[in-house]
Amino acid sequence: MIVILPDSSSYDICGDRCTVGSILERFGINPLEVIVSVGGNVVPEEWVVGGSDTIRIIRIAHGG
Amino acid sequence: MATSDPGNDGRIRCALCNELSVIRLRDRNRQLCAEHFAADLSERVRETITSHAMIAPGDRIAVAFSGGKDSTALLLLLRDLVTASDDITLVAITVDEGIAGYRSDTIRSAESLAEELGIEQVIVSFSGLFGKDLDAILESQKERACSICGILRRKALLSAAQAAGATKIATGHNLDDEAQSVLMNALRGDLARLVRDSSSRSGDCFIPRIKPLKDISEKEIAVFLMARGRFPELPECPYTRYALRAEIRSRLSSLEYRHPGTMKRLVSGKERLTSVLDGIPLGGAINRCRECGEPCSGTVCQTCQLIASLL
Repeated sequence: MIVILPDSSSYDICGDRCTVGSILERFGINPLEVIVSVGGNVVPEEWVVGGSDTIRIIRIAHGG
Repeated sequence: MATSDPGNDGRIRCALCNELSVIRLRDRNRQLCAEHFAADLSERVRETITSHAMIAPGDRIAVAFSGGKDSTALLLLLRDLVTASDDITLVAITVDEGIAGYRSDTIRSAESLAEELGIEQVIVSFSGLFGKDLDAILESQKERACSICGILRRKALLSAAQAAGATKIATGHNLDDEAQSVLMNALRGDLARLVRDSSSRSGDCFIPRIKPLKDISEKEIAVFLMARGRFPELPECPYTRYALRAEIRSRLSSLEYRHPGTMKRLVSGKERLTSVLDGIPLGGAINRCRECGEPCSGTVCQTCQLIASLL
């Protein structure tokens, strides 16, 4: 699966299916500071991903 | 399936229907789909407005509308909540501070949405009101960016709201913003600011301010907009990194994640303190600024002092 971080960097991750929350934890991201979309749809942290999924992590604080 | 556990396909369903979940409400441990979450959030905003008597018949509400996520959600929710009442009108106020590489995108977004929703919009700029844009004002004092911008933005918003004949000013402050402000004021030891109630006429403005999103978390606002295809992916303000608030935001968010309810307890404690201290003039007597006539603690208000220093 592909994980795209808020800074637009992307990572190809192999391995077992896992929750969105565990991916955020792996990258040291607080789930309260981001929203996550899978296939363009916003999903909760409990959502399970894997295989060919593309997981996009979007930072929600803009400031200003 | 109405459960927080994913099914065999790894997907989680809404607790109220069979649609896919977009969020788990942490305080209720409940998964909701986009439609039920939007309805839940809208109802909570309506309860906040009602319980604090924020809106009255005949009100003309100036909505502080930057085009960012919070003000976008506020405008959408207010538009839906007040359309049934013909005697309540909305006017979107957009302040162009003049921040290169940042504000033009948000203003375009704001103009587009206001036009789509058919809501009257007024755009005012720092350069038009104060003679300089924010970038020019901050040339040698970037570390004061948020403080200076905040003072001038409040002045710009108030001027535009008065000119538009508004009876209330609605801002998009959310639960995270409110909790951050409580902690910042506590860390600064600023008790007067800590307990100030900007919704009352004794605050720093003639027009009462209302914060309909004050019980909604920043995450919930983002999910609400994302699920409706309205999340404005805009650049971050370049001056944010100079702000104490940025550090507070990160630390408080970590605390909230590890200790759910931290932000609500912080804000609730502040509201109890405000209630206990009601009527005690912590900031000294309230005077009128000799330059602009607005309430202030000295002879010239903070805004007029700042403007004079810029000219």
